[in-house]
Formats: sequence, structure tokens, C-alpha cells
Amino acid sequence: MSSSFGRAGVVALRVIRQLKRDRRTISLIVFAPIVLMILFGYALSGEMSGVALGLVDGGGQAGLKAHLESIPDYDILRLGSESDAEKLISEGRLDGAVVLEPEGARVLLDASSLQISGAIVAAVQAWVAGEQTSGLKDKGKGITMRYIFGYDLEMMDTVGPAILGLVVFFFTFINAAIAFIRERSQGTLEKFMVSPLSRVEMVAGYVLGFSFFTILQSATTLFVVRFGFGVPMKGSALTALFVVLLLGAGALVLGSFFSNFARSEFQVVQFIPLIITPQIVLCGIWWPLQSVPEFIRPFSYILPLTYAADALRAVMLKGAGFADILYPDLLALGAFFAIFFAAATVMLRRDVG
Amino acid sequence: MAGRARGKPPAISARNVVKLFGRMRALDDLTVNIPAGVTYCLLGPNGSGKTTFIRAVVGLLKLDGGDLRVLGRPVSQVQQIYPAIGYMTQHKALYPDLTVQENLEFYAGLYGLTRQKREERISDLLQMVALSEHRSRLAGALSGGMYQRLSLACTLIHEPDLLLLDEPTVGIDPRLRQTFWEYFQRLAEEGKTVLITTHLMDEAERCQKVGYMRAGKMAAEGSPEEILRLAGLRPLLRLWLAEPEKDAALLRSEGYEIMAKGDVVEVRLERHAQIKEILAAVSPLDMRLEEPALEEAFLRLSEGA
Repeated sequence: MSSSFGRAGVVALRVIRQLKRDRRTISLIVFAPIVLMILFGYALSGEMSGVALGLVDGGGQAGLKAHLESIPDYDILRLGSESDAEKLISEGRLDGAVVLEPEGARVLLDASSLQISGAIVAAVQAWVAGEQTSGLKDKGKGITMRYIFGYDLEMMDTVGPAILGLVVFFFTFINAAIAFIRERSQGTLEKFMVSPLSRVEMVAGYVLGFSFFTILQSATTLFVVRFGFGVPMKGSALTALFVVLLLGAGALVLGSFFSNFARSEFQVVQFIPLIITPQIVLCGIWWPLQSVPEFIRPFSYILPLTYAADALRAVMLKGAGFADILYPDLLALGAFFAIFFAAATVMLRRDVG
Repeated sequence: MAGRARGKPPAISARNVVKLFGRMRALDDLTVNIPAGVTYCLLGPNGSGKTTFIRAVVGLLKLDGGDLRVLGRPVSQVQQIYPAIGYMTQHKALYPDLTVQENLEFYAGLYGLTRQKREERISDLLQMVALSEHRSRLAGALSGGMYQRLSLACTLIHEPDLLLLDEPTVGIDPRLRQTFWEYFQRLAEEGKTVLITTHLMDEAERCQKVGYMRAGKMAAEGSPEEILRLAGLRPLLRLWLAEPEKDAALLRSEGYEIMAKGDVVEVRLERHAQIKEILAAVSPLDMRLEEPALEEAFLRLSEGA
């Protein structure tokens, strides 16, 4: 029992006992994801009006570009490269894309939704036909079609997996920050400093204890996402759970780290706009990262939720396995956890002069 | 010093210890020696450095000078002897959302007590702090005094050799305080060292040694009797005499410090043993002995030093 693992286990058991007794938090952990999903999923899904069409402008074909942009039902998303377009189509976030080049154009289509693909083809052909009648016969030659196996997507499908990550991150961050503030104000932290419990063991104990609730939360959320909203689970639920646990561990150490900058539980709540909101906006749940302006994009790539959302979507919608999401998603989440674990343990000793 | 502690290094020895907080000298060339196996009371006004000293002893503060050894080791290695230290801060260091039993189990777990040992200690300590009937109550639902008692029990759970208690008896009723003191004295007899800070003079009087701190320095140190003598305070013997003038003259001629007030004569004693000598010289109708209060001694020391 006096081993390192034993002491971390003692802390974990205590954390579980405390949280178990906190009925309000338990119900929030379990029901908040469901409420959020209903809210975001239904409120936002409505109808996905219009056709989401990617446009990769490699120069030339100004006439076709103008024609596509003039169609009222089309939401045009400007993309940097053809591979971005392919990726988004395969994820089901675009219905198709047109790659404009000086020599011609390529139309990428989603093979899984033939109706919309047909509409895009028709729109392009309408333009070609118009050009031909006006005498410019060569114009239609450079246009080729390519089908990509996409995914027939509903709003809930992209949002569901990401909300799971969001909710776990949010609650773990807040609960952990408050728990560590209490350790300070109760005087227990100072008492630990003068006990065989090391700082690493203490933070590790918290990670263990909170993971127990993260599993509970993930299991209920996944269940509702899968059976309540019919989001597919093509990959392994265990892989998805692993992603969520890694994200939760990252949120915990981040919360522990930030607890050093708050003096009260009230001040923890004030971190929400700073820590949580940017992740919601920039994680790629609501609009694809590829469409985020380039100067903001680096921020997206340092936020853990970005990777968790990507990994969860890959596992659930495309059946990705552990190896498929290892790079960059799992590595990024692992690195985030490692960096803030170290930072949190170092900061625990802060008030010691 | 009790027999068990003989030959042991001092529990705490500080030589010219300095701790600065900005420009304030919280510990100012403090030198103190606390032998093993005693109950030692650290007294002093607020801000005199008592808590700072305890925090320095457990290695929570980096010293700016001097030499500090704890249980024979330099304070820089104090981490290695944490299992032998029991530290109770003024914050109670309990989890209000855990039960009494769970709080004790948690601390027992941190120190790696076996299941059997743990149950044994918990039963013993709950009895000592009179909380046996409240085992399954949430700590947060306890009264202030009970909370304090639970905190003490948690500090004692691993049978530490060195107990550092910062104001442990605040809010505890006198009867239970008596039990605590008996317990502390028993611990000292077993060779353990109990260092206590308090504001209460009557508590200081129960300790084997008292250190009086002022402005980061040790202003006076010794047994309670020694402190009184140091402050120039002596017991006062009041005698009601049949022939006050004659007897007063007699006593004065024998070198006693006398004050005559009507038929009452007051004698300042050097030692209690003098009472016997005085009674051999005069036969009072009635007499009363007034012991000086430690409080007054410290007041004097505060003003004087």
C-alpha cells in the first residue's frame, strides 16, 4: 500500500467518494451532454439548406466560377487544395467541389449522395452548354468528373462525437480546477506537502479518480448518440472511449494548472470564456478547419478539442482504428496531457517560498 | 526528558535561522533547541513567527540563513522523514464532503497503514477525540470543535515521532482539552516530541518547556517556572499576623522583601521552599499563596525586551 501506485490509488478512491456524494454534479455529468446534443443537434440541423460546394481556385475558368457563385442555393466554401476538398467530401462535410485550373476544371463529387451530385453536375453542364452555344466550343473539353466515396451526413453525425469531447472537456476542466482550489483553501494541499504523497502521485490520483467519471459520462453519452440520435459507430467504442479518456486527462491537468491563477471557485467560472469558448469555436465542429482563416488556424491546432473531435469523428463515422488516429490526433492529445501534467505538478509547489 | 528519548538527537535544533519575507525578518537569527520526548509550547503574539517557524521545520519555506535540523537531519532532507512527522495546520485540512471515518481512512492510506492497523488506530483515536459515535457523519456537518478534533485525529493517525500542532486546541472545551494534554504527555513519555503553538497561557503552563517568540526571535525559553523567574515574577505569600509590625521587622531582618498593609504582610518569595522557613519564624493566623501568571511574565518580557 505504501507504493507510489498505492498512494495515487488512495487519492483516486477519495476523489471518487467525494464526487459520488455530489449528486448534482453526477446528474450534470450524465444529463448535460444529452441536453446539449438535443440543443445543438436539433436546433442547428434544421435543414441543411443549399448545397455545400468547395471551390479550389487554381486560376482560370473565371466564367465557371462566376456561374457557380451566382447560383443562390450554393454555399461556396473556398479551399486551399484539392486534398482538403477530398477530405471534406469523404467526411461528408461538402457535397462536392470544383477545382479550377487554367487548363480546365475537375469536379469532385460525393458518390454517396447521388441526388446532390447530379445537381452539381447539372449546374456545371448548364454552364458548359451555355458557353458552347455562344460559340466557344473548346471550353467544355477540360472538365472531368471524379467520384469520392463520401458519407451521407446529418448534422447530428458531425456534432454528436464532438459534443461528447466538448462536454467531457468542459466538466473535467471546471471540476478539476475547483477541486484543486479547495485543496488549497482547505489546507489539505499543505498537509500533503508534508506527507509521503508526492505531487506526481497526487495529480495521478486525480487523473485516475476523474477517469472513472469520464467513463461513466462517455458511456451514457455514446449510448444516447448511438441509439437516441442514430449516429453510426463504425469503429470500436473502446477506441472512442480511449480518445475521450485522454482528452479528459488533458482537461484535468489543465484545470489543475489554471487553479493556480484563481483564488476562488467563482474565478474558475471566469476562465470559461478564455479556455472553453475558443475551443468550441475553433475545434472544427461547426465549420471545417479548412475554412478558418489561415492566421487563426494555428490556434486550432494547439487546442486539444480539435484533435479529439477529429479522432472521434474518424472512429465513429469512418471506422478508423487506433493506428489510423495515432498521428496526429492521439499524439497531440498525449503531448498536451504530458505538458500540462508536468506544469500542474510544478505549480503545486508554487506557494512554497 | 523521558527515558525513551535519551540518546536521541534533538527533535528540532535551529541555529541563527533567518527567514525574510521581503524586507520583513519573519525569523530573525532564531536559535532554539527542542529535545526529543518533550511537550514544547511556542507562545508569542500574532506575527511573532510561530507559524513561520513550524513551516520552516517541515521544509515548506526556504531559509535565508542559519542551520536547521529536524530529527537529526538537515532540513534540506526533511522529505525523507515525512512519514515520521505529524503536521496540523491552522486550516483543518479535512474534506467536509467525506465522513469522519473516510477522512481518517484517507490519511491512513497515504501513510500506507495496513488494514488491520488502520482500523485499530481509527478506533483508538476516535475514542480519544470523543467522536466514536460520529463515525459516519459528514465532516462538514460537525461542529467547529468536533471538526478540530477530527483534524487532530487525522494528524495522529500514523503515530508520528514529531508532532507539530499549530493552535490545536482552539474551540475545544476544557474537559476535552484536559484529555488532549494527558494524551500529549503520554506521547512525550513514549519518546515522541510534541510542539504546540497556542495563545492560551494555561496551556503553556502544562508544557514541559515553553518558548516565547517575539519579532522572529526567541525572547525567553525554559520551563514555565523558569520563564516566571526570568520575568522577575515571584510568588507572593500573604500572611495575616497577630503582631504584624513585630513579625514584619523580624522577616525584614532575615532578608525578605516585605510589604506591610495593616495586619497583612506580603512576602515576595524567591523559592517555594522559603515558605517553610517563614513558617518556622512566624505563626500567621491565616495565609494565602499567590502564584504569578505566565501571562504577566510574557507581558513583562514583551515590554522589556
